[in-house]
Amino acid sequence: MNFLYKIFFIFLLNATSLLADEASDWLKKEIDTILDVHRDTSISKVDRFNLIEDSINNNFAGAGISKFVAGKSWFSASKETKKEYVKLFKRHLALNITSIMQGYSDQEYELINSKYDEKTKVNMIEMEIHNDTGNILVTWRVKKSKDRYFVIDLIVADISLVVTKRSEFHSMLKKVDQKLNELNDVLRLQNESSYSIIIN
Amino acid sequence: MINIKSLLIIFFIVFINFSVLSDESDTVTTTSSDFETTYNEDEIFDPIEPINRVIFGFNNMADKIILEPAAKGYRKLPSPIQSGVNNFLSNLRAPLVVVNQLLQGQGKNAAETTGRFVVNTTAGVLGLVDVADKIGLEEKEEDYGQTLATWGVGDGFYIVLPIFGPSNLRDSGGLFLTYATDPFNAYAVREGEGWVVPLRTATNAVDKRSKIIDEVNALRNNSVDYYAAVRSSYYQNRKAAILNIDDSELTPLPLISVEFE
Repeated sequence: MNFLYKIFFIFLLNATSLLADEASDWLKKEIDTILDVHRDTSISKVDRFNLIEDSINNNFAGAGISKFVAGKSWFSASKETKKEYVKLFKRHLALNITSIMQGYSDQEYELINSKYDEKTKVNMIEMEIHNDTGNILVTWRVKKSKDRYFVIDLIVADISLVVTKRSEFHSMLKKVDQKLNELNDVLRLQNESSYSIIIN
Repeated sequence: MINIKSLLIIFFIVFINFSVLSDESDTVTTTSSDFETTYNEDEIFDPIEPINRVIFGFNNMADKIILEPAAKGYRKLPSPIQSGVNNFLSNLRAPLVVVNQLLQGQGKNAAETTGRFVVNTTAGVLGLVDVADKIGLEEKEEDYGQTLATWGVGDGFYIVLPIFGPSNLRDSGGLFLTYATDPFNAYAVREGEGWVVPLRTATNAVDKRSKIIDEVNALRNNSVDYYAAVRSSYYQNRKAAILNIDDSELTPLPLISVEFE
C-alpha cells in the first residue's frame, strides 16, 4: 500500500512539474513577443501599442480580472454598464502593463522559478530582470482554462497589479456610491490620459 | 487581384484568430483565492484620509520637483559609483539590521549580517564593495517596524508622513527608533558633525528613488486614484517584508515607499 502511495506521489510531483514547465514555456514566448514589439523601432508608437494591446487582450484574463477588481459594485450594475466597464478595464490593463514593460524593454530577463499550486490551480512563474544596480523580481500568476494559459496577475517586487487596482477602484467606487457607470467615466478619462503619454 | 485576395484572406484569418482568442480570454473566471487576497484587505484603516491626502499631494509635488530629477541625474552616473553608494549606505544600516534580527530571534541571519558588516567594512573598503555577497553572505533587511510586527504589534492606522511618505502608526514608531538608535548618526552628532545625518538621509532617498523611477511613473501615470494605489502598494510591500518573502539576493523594491533610512 505504501508503495502505491509513493508511486502516486511521484506521479503527482511529475505532473505538477510538467504543468509548471509548460506554463513557463508559454509565458516566455508571450513575453518575448511583447518585448520584441517594444524594441522594434520601425513601427510607430500607435501601432506598437495596438499590437501589445492585442497580445494582452488575448493572454490576460481581462474580463475575469475586471470583475474581481470591481468588487461588490459589479453585482448592482446593469448589463450595458458591465460591458462598457470590461471594455474600458481591458484597455486600462493594457495601458498599465505596457507602461510597466516599457521600463524593462532594454533589460535582460530570465525565468528563474516556476511553481504550480495544486490547490488554487495557479502557476506562479518568477522572472528576474537584471540591471546594472540590482535585480527585480516579477511574478506572473498564470491559470489554465480550456487547454490554454492566461495571465491573471503580475506582481512586481511583491506588489500585485490586480490587488493594487482593486484597492484603487474600491476607493474610487466609495466616492461615487458604488456606481460602476460613474467609475466608467473616470476610467475613460484616465485611459485617454495614459494613452496620450504612451504614444507621445 | 490575387494579392488583394490573399491579403483579404490573411486579414480575415488574423481578425478571426484575435477575436476567438480574445473571446477565450473573456471566459476565464477569477476568485479572490487566485490573488491570495481577501475582501477585508480592500479596507485599509485610514481614519485621517483627508489630512493624509493633503500631505500626499505635497510629497508628490516635492517628488516631481526635487527627488525624481535628482534620482534621474544620479542614474546617469557610472554604475560602479551607484553600486558603491548603495553598498556604502547599506553597510551603514547593517548594525541596526543585526539588532532587529536578534530581537526577532533570527540568530543565524544576525550572524550572517555581522559577517557581512565585518567583511564589507574591511575587504570591501568601508562597505563600498559588496565582497560578502560574492562569498555567499546575502543581504537581508530588518527594521524596527518589522520587529514590532513580529512581536504582535498591529499596523495602527495609515499615515502619510511629510517627506518620508507612506507609513502607519507602528512603522512610524519604528522609524523614530531607527533615528534614535542608529550608532553612526549618534557618533556623527556627538562629534559635532550633525550635518552628516540629513546628508545620509537625502543620499539614501535619491539612491532608493533611482531604482524605482519607471515603476513610480507607471503607477502615477495610470492610476485612477494614485493615493489609494500607493497606500495599497505600501501595505503589500510591508506585508511581504514582515513575512520575509523576499529574503533572497533580489532587491526588494518598494514600489513607491521611499525608505530614507
